[in-house]
Amino acid sequence: MTHIIFDDKQIELEEGQSVLSVLLDNNYDIPNSCQAGVCQSCMMQAVEGEIPAAAQAGLKDTLRAQGYFLACSCQPTSPLRVMAANDMDLQSPATVVGHTLLSDDVLRLRLKPQSDFVYRAGQFTNIWKTAKLARSYSLASVAQLDDVLELHIRRIPNGELSSWLHDEIKTGDELKIQPASGDCFYVPGEVEQKLLLAGTGTGLAPLTGIVRDAIAQGHKGEIHLIHGVRRHQDLYLHQTLLDMAEKYSQLRYYSNVLEADNDSQQKTNRPLEQQILDIAVEPAQWKAYLCGDAAIVNTLKKTLFMSGMAMGSIYSDPFLISA
Amino acid sequence: MSSLYERIGGEAAVEAAVDIFYRKVLTDDRVNDYFDGVDMEQQINKQKGFLTMVFGGPNNYTGKDMREGHKHLVARGLNDSHVDAIVELLGATLQELGVAAEDIQEVANIANSVRDDVLNK
Repeated sequence: MTHIIFDDKQIELEEGQSVLSVLLDNNYDIPNSCQAGVCQSCMMQAVEGEIPAAAQAGLKDTLRAQGYFLACSCQPTSPLRVMAANDMDLQSPATVVGHTLLSDDVLRLRLKPQSDFVYRAGQFTNIWKTAKLARSYSLASVAQLDDVLELHIRRIPNGELSSWLHDEIKTGDELKIQPASGDCFYVPGEVEQKLLLAGTGTGLAPLTGIVRDAIAQGHKGEIHLIHGVRRHQDLYLHQTLLDMAEKYSQLRYYSNVLEADNDSQQKTNRPLEQQILDIAVEPAQWKAYLCGDAAIVNTLKKTLFMSGMAMGSIYSDPFLISA
Repeated sequence: MSSLYERIGGEAAVEAAVDIFYRKVLTDDRVNDYFDGVDMEQQINKQKGFLTMVFGGPNNYTGKDMREGHKHLVARGLNDSHVDAIVELLGATLQELGVAAEDIQEVANIANSVRDDVLNK
């Protein structure tokens, strides 16, 4: 006999009883469907204690690493503190320590959290403007390498949060941020794995974090990073990434500009979905990270999957834009 | 005697089959309209549930779940011909994975046993 802690209450478990069953018995409304460890709708997160292996069967490695488990398949043998998977309403203050433009519409925002902020490069956080208004932004920094958090904020036309961050927020101000989440990040252990990273716009932010994280963790396999943008001037980290590719032999960097413009020599590139297949010639041998515009991310995901990449090897973060 | 689910290979077989099966579904013009435009990872999870069930594995799907889950597709014209196509693609997937013909037939029988619920008949 053991117990779980949920909602700050200790709840006793019967022998062999699952976390889902005991929570439902106690009248908690936990989403669930198949109750067989398959549909994943009862996913929860453990914050303390040991998760039985069976409760994480079939979950992506990035989710396992964060303590996610399936409540229906979880029969704990020792005390376990759990919370709902979306229970992220903890906010913490962070001070703005950097506020500079990377291009005409992308702001580099640097933040110093006032308390411990645990994250993996590639995850995202929410910035709160008011009690009701928040937007998600990916982290471009790497916890082990950088003292401060870095976010790339594109100015969205009529975007309430992005206009506020661009125009009103300045160095020294305090912002409210939320614990990092998201399952698009580097998982160590396969140093020779070939990695393909493709992002559009500020989808580059999480990808550069993942690349720097992978290299810092000793990744030896090829890493191919593509930045897809509309206009040439949107390649907001072009020189930085060229320099990085120069420095690290396993890294290749490609820019993909959609619209040819008159005043530069840049020609229109082939479509991203064609470019990724030209790079990842045998998709089944690769892992992919896809971030940015939701429609493009989903197209790229489908392209790679249909060409033989395992769905479990594709990590994606489609950005949903709201004003 | 071992169960159908054990003979096919249990959870590992579901993992191996799901990508192959889903690719076939997305390629097949008879059925891919019903699968396009939905979140692919969610789809993969649902298909794992489906495969576990038709492989005779542990599940708690009820006839009511089947009816509710497919009602909107029936409204869009889902009929027997689509179920036939899915059963065929399922068989082709298992054949690729080297599953015995009798076991494939048994899987098809389980799939056919939920046909009326899926089609809300």
